[in-house]
Amino acid sequence: MSATSDSAKAISQPESAPAASSFSHPFVGALRRRYLAGTLSVVGGLLLWELVSRVLVANALFLAAPSEIVVAIYNLAATGQLWHHIAVSAAEFALGYVIASSIGIALGLAMASSATMKQALQPWISGLYATPTIALAPLFILWFGIGIWSKVIVVISLVLFPVTINTEAGLRTTSERLIEMLRSFGATRRQIFVKVSLPSAVPFILAGLKLGIGRGLIGVVVAELFGSRAGLGRLISQSADAFNMPELFAGVVILAFAGIVMTAGFGWLEKRLVPWTRD
Amino acid sequence: MASKLAVSRLSKSFGDLEALRGINLAVERGEFISVVGPSGCGKTTFLRIVAGLEHATAGDVLLDGRVVREPGTDRGFVFQNDSLLPWRTVFANAIIGRELAGSIGQADRKRTMELLKLVGLEGFEHYHPRQLSGGMRQRVNLARALAIDPEILLMDEPFAALDAQTREIMQAELLRIWERGHKTVLFVTHQIDEAVFLSDRVLVFARRPGRLQEEVKIALPRPRTLEIKRTGEFVGLVDHIWRMIEDDVRAAALYENA
Repeated sequence: MSATSDSAKAISQPESAPAASSFSHPFVGALRRRYLAGTLSVVGGLLLWELVSRVLVANALFLAAPSEIVVAIYNLAATGQLWHHIAVSAAEFALGYVIASSIGIALGLAMASSATMKQALQPWISGLYATPTIALAPLFILWFGIGIWSKVIVVISLVLFPVTINTEAGLRTTSERLIEMLRSFGATRRQIFVKVSLPSAVPFILAGLKLGIGRGLIGVVVAELFGSRAGLGRLISQSADAFNMPELFAGVVILAFAGIVMTAGFGWLEKRLVPWTRD
Repeated sequence: MASKLAVSRLSKSFGDLEALRGINLAVERGEFISVVGPSGCGKTTFLRIVAGLEHATAGDVLLDGRVVREPGTDRGFVFQNDSLLPWRTVFANAIIGRELAGSIGQADRKRTMELLKLVGLEGFEHYHPRQLSGGMRQRVNLARALAIDPEILLMDEPFAALDAQTREIMQAELLRIWERGHKTVLFVTHQIDEAVFLSDRVLVFARRPGRLQEEVKIALPRPRTLEIKRTGEFVGLVDHIWRMIEDDVRAAALYENA
C-alpha cells in the first residue's frame, strides 16, 4: 500500500518529518507547516477573548465570552428562533444579490458595447458607487415598509455598482493582441465578443461578485437595524436593547461565518472557472 | 504563370510619417521569402497590409489574382507573441481558425491533430498555454495558422521572443515542416542569419521611408540543417546583407535612444 511506502520514506528521511509523532506522513507535515501559525493565532485569540471576558471585564452586560456565544447559538437553534432569523436574512440577501448581479452584468455589457450608453450611465454608476448608499436605508424602509423588500432594495443598491463597473472594465480591457489574432482569422465583431471579450471578462465579473458579498451582507444587517420584524440584524438590535451579549455576538458570528463561507466558495469557483488567472 | 502574391506600388503613411513607399514584389508558389531591415523600415507594416490587418494608402496586394482588403482564411498569420487564448487547450487554440469559419467537422479535428503532431506537440493537446514553454507556445501558434490550410503563411518575427537555443531549434523545425508542404511563406525578422537560413530570397528593407532596398537570392542547397550556418557561403551572405543595412541600423538605434 502507498501508506506503508510513504511512512517508510518518512522514516528513511527523518528530516521531512521533524516532530516525532505517529503522524509522520509527509503530507501531515506540509499541512502542519501551512496551517500552524494560522491555527495558533485563532486559538490564541479566542483564549485571550475568553480570558478578558471572564477575568478583566467580567461584566455580562458588555462582553460575552466565546464559550457563552456557543451556548447562546445552541439555545437559539434549539428554540427554532435562529433558523427563522437566518432564513429571513438569507432570503433578503439572496434576492437582492441575484437581482443586482443580473442587472449589474447586463448594465456592464450595455456600457461596454455602446459608447453612448457608457457616456450616459457612467456618471450615475461612478457617483452612486462612491456614495454610501447604505445611508438611504431609512428612506427605503419608509418607502417599502419593514418587510423584506426594503432590505432587498438596500442590498441591490450596494451590490449593483461594483458588479456593473467590473463587468464593464473586464470587457473593455480585453487584450488587443487577442482581438487582433481573431481578426486575422476573419472573425466578425460578434465572434470577437463571444470568443475573446466575454471569457476574458469572467475573472473581473467574478471579482465584482465577490466584492458584492461583503457589501450585500452589510446591507442586510444595517437595513434590518433600521426597522424589521426578523433577521440577524433584528436579532442583534433586540439583543443589544436587552443587554443580551451572548445573543448579540451569536448574530455577529453567524454573519461572519456566512461571509467567510461565501467568499471561500467564490475562491473555489474562481479556481474552477478561471484557472488561467492564477500564477 | 501568375504569381502567388503580387504587390505593386504599395505605399503606406501614418499621418506625416511615410512608413512604406512604392513596394513591388512578386512571390511564386512555394517560395520562402524573408523580409529584414532595421526597426522602423516598415517590414511589419508590410506584413500586416498583406494580412489585411492594415490598409495601404496606395497600391495593391493580390493573392492568387484577388485583391486583398480584409483578413481572410487564405492567409495564416503567425504572431510574434503567441496570442493564445489562455482559457483554451492547445487543441482548442489550434482549431480556432476553422471554428471561426464555420462549424468544425471530423476532418478538421483530424487535420488539427495531425498538425499538432507535425509541430511536435503530440500528447499536449489537452494542456493549457500556461503549462507550456515559450517554444511550445510558438509551435501552437504555427499549428493554428496551418490549420486553416492557408495559401500563404505570414510570419511576424515568430521566434524573436525565444532564447537563442530555442530559436535555432525552431528555425530547423520550421524548415522541416515547410519541406513537407512547401507552403508559400512571407517571414519578417530582424535576424539576418535566420532570414538567410530559411529563405529562397531575402528582401532587404531600408528606413525613412520604408522601401525595398535590395533583393538577395539565397542559393544554398536544400534541405538545410543548422550546420550550414557555419559554411563560408552562409557567412558571406549574412555579411553582405549586414553591410547593406549597417548604417541604417546604427541610425535607427541612435534615433530610438534619443
